[in-house]
Parts: sequence; structure tokens; C-alpha cells
Amino acid sequence: MSRLLSPAPLARVAVLRVIVYLFVPVDVLLTTTWVRAHAQVPGELYVPLRIGRLLPLPTPGPWVELFQVLLVAAALAAAVAAARDVLPRVTGWLVALLYLEWMVVAMSYGKVDHDRFAFLVALFVLPSVGRAALHSRERSEAAGWALTMIALAVVATYTLAAVAKIRFGGWDWVDGATLTRAVLRRSTPLSEPLLDVPGVLHAAQYGILIMELAVAPLLLVRWRDPRVTWLLALGFLGFHLLTFSMITIIFLPHCVALLALLPLERAVQREQVPA
Amino acid sequence: MLTDTGRRVRVALTLLLAALTLAGTLVGQDDDFPFGPFRMYSTRDDPNGTVVSTRVEAVDAAGRVRTVDERSTGLKRAEVEGQVQRFRADPALLGALSRAHDRLRPDEAPYAEVRIVELRYVLRDSRPTGEQTEQVVASWRRP
Repeated sequence: MSRLLSPAPLARVAVLRVIVYLFVPVDVLLTTTWVRAHAQVPGELYVPLRIGRLLPLPTPGPWVELFQVLLVAAALAAAVAAARDVLPRVTGWLVALLYLEWMVVAMSYGKVDHDRFAFLVALFVLPSVGRAALHSRERSEAAGWALTMIALAVVATYTLAAVAKIRFGGWDWVDGATLTRAVLRRSTPLSEPLLDVPGVLHAAQYGILIMELAVAPLLLVRWRDPRVTWLLALGFLGFHLLTFSMITIIFLPHCVALLALLPLERAVQREQVPA
Repeated sequence: MLTDTGRRVRVALTLLLAALTLAGTLVGQDDDFPFGPFRMYSTRDDPNGTVVSTRVEAVDAAGRVRTVDERSTGLKRAEVEGQVQRFRADPALLGALSRAHDRLRPDEAPYAEVRIVELRYVLRDSRPTGEQTEQVVASWRRP
């Protein structure tokens, strides 16, 4: 428990806030454009999730387009607020709630993605830190908790993906043809030749499961050796880029969240790093 | 420094979130978003079975066959697949896709017919044999 609340630099939280809030418009306007299109899909194709049945959330319709503008405006305001260190809680939690509803609009048509769990956690925990200036030299327990929660969510995404494979695919998931299916359905010029060498895809299934299971123990040692942090973060980013090159799926919001693992404050405190 | 309450609240939230996420993975379903299982590519495909790839196609009034993607109707392939049982049970629901197309692409010719086609690739030892079959699993015609 002491690790959960061990102090971390406030400046890291400030930098991460700016990145996260600036990423929201990128996600909403450029990289996940299909969510907005749900505005035009007739209501009978809306299949509300449990959260949409428990809460009085409206059936998506033309209002979604206005909602998109609101969400982008709120995110830009939060980015400015983060950079100037004013009103971090109000602006941050507003974005978190709006983005969660945006995700409900996204996921309620028959397909639920798992690429932004850590990003959602980041949106909800970052405001809890309170004020955090970009050039602050202080560390705080609140910052430590928020950053640890994001790191745990990043790692859980891999570890629990391995658990899901064992739950749904069984212990012999590794010896199945899941990656063959993935490539057959979403091949790229890089991955298509692999269909003729199934041994590579078969080995990759072992590699993926081992990687997903190895992440959690690696997280435990990262507190002892900062080099492990870089290994983890760069390893994850490399994995997601490779996946993108093979089947054009990328966990972009997740990649943004995993920046929480890195000493981001150095980007704004370069002048004090000893030569 | 956090107050004692601040610490307690954070520890409690951590435990709650961990419990919900773990429960979602062990017994939850997609319906439990955002705490559902991380199940992307978690199912196992038989190396000697078949792989299904679904597509939606439409025919306009001139008889031209059109590929229907997410830009045409606002529904992605995976979403159509997620609801394919509903479309099979009630093909009239494909009319809703046609209405979405009218709204999203008013410049294009409206659909006279919409159908869901399942393409099956036959695998042997995790390799596509080249053998493929196609089947229309639901279709709708504009009344």
C-alpha cells in the first residue's frame, strides 16, 4: 500500500494532463471518426450496454454531433487549464464524464473495444491530484496515486487480456489459429506472406501470451530499476506498432496512457538536469 | 501531504476498481463495459476449421453491387458481426442500414437491396487451403 501512495512529481501529472487532453480531439476528430457516424444510425441498431440501461443515457441520434463539439471544446479547455494550472478538477472531470459517454455511444452497436481502459482510468484519476504546475519541483502522494493507478491499468490491460484468452480460448489458445484468422481478415502487405508460414504466427501466439503474462512481474521490479520502465514503455510501443503493421489495429489511447510510466517532467525541466 | 481521509478514499477506490476489473475478466461480458473482459482475439480458432469474414453489400436501383463499409452506413464490420444474429432473425433490420446510408451519403444512389455475406476460408494446419465458400445469411429488399 505504501507504494500506491509513494510521492511522484507534480510536473509529471501536469505534462501528462496536457498530453491526454490534447489527445482527446485527435481521437475524437481524426483517429476514431466512426463514433460520430453513429449519430446517423437508426435507433433500432443501438444495443445499450448495462451502463446505458442503468443510467438514463439517451439513444444516440443527431445530438451526437453536437456532443462531439462539446467534448472537443471541453478537452481543449482542460488542456489550457492544465498548462496554466487552474481549475484542474472541474475541467478534468468534465472531460472524463463526457468522454465516458462518448465511449458508450461508440461501444453500443454490437462491438466493444478494449483499447482504452487505461486512458479512461487516466481521465478519471488525473483531476484528483488537484493543482499541479508544469514547472513544479514538488512531489506529492496524490500525484503518486494517480500515476500508479494509470500504470496498473496499463499493465492490467495486458495481464487480463492473457486471462481472457485462457478463459475464452482455453489453455490451448496458443496452439490455435487465431492469428491466422486475424491476418486473413485484416491483412497488410507485411502480414499477408505470413499466411504461408503458419509456424511464425503460431510462435507469435506464444510470444504474445508470454509477453502479456510477463508484464505484471516486470512492473513490480520497475521500482527498483528505472531501466525496466523504459524497457516496458518502449517494448509496449513497439508491440503496438508491430500489430498495426500486421493487422492495422492500434491501441492509440492506450499508448498515450502508458506515457504515465515515463519521467515526462524532464521534458519541461531540461535546464536543471546536471550535465 | 494527503489527509487520512484522502488516503483512505484512494485505497478504497483502488480496491473497488481492482475488484470490478477482476470480476469483469473472470465472469463478466462485453455488456459490463468499462469493466468487461479484455477479450479481443481471445477466442481460439481451429487450425483445421474455417475462418469467417463478413461483408455487407448493397445493390442500387441500377443493379450495381456496392461494397458497404463503415463510411456508408456508420456501422463497422465488427459491429455488423456483433449483431448478425439479430439481422438473421429479422432481416428487415437491414432496412435501418439503408436509412443510415441515405442520411450519411445523400449524394449516392439509395440501396434497393442490402445483404450480409459470410465468406468462409477453409484452413488446414493453420494455413488457408484456398478453398472458400460464400453464403448470404440475411438480405432485405426495399419495399
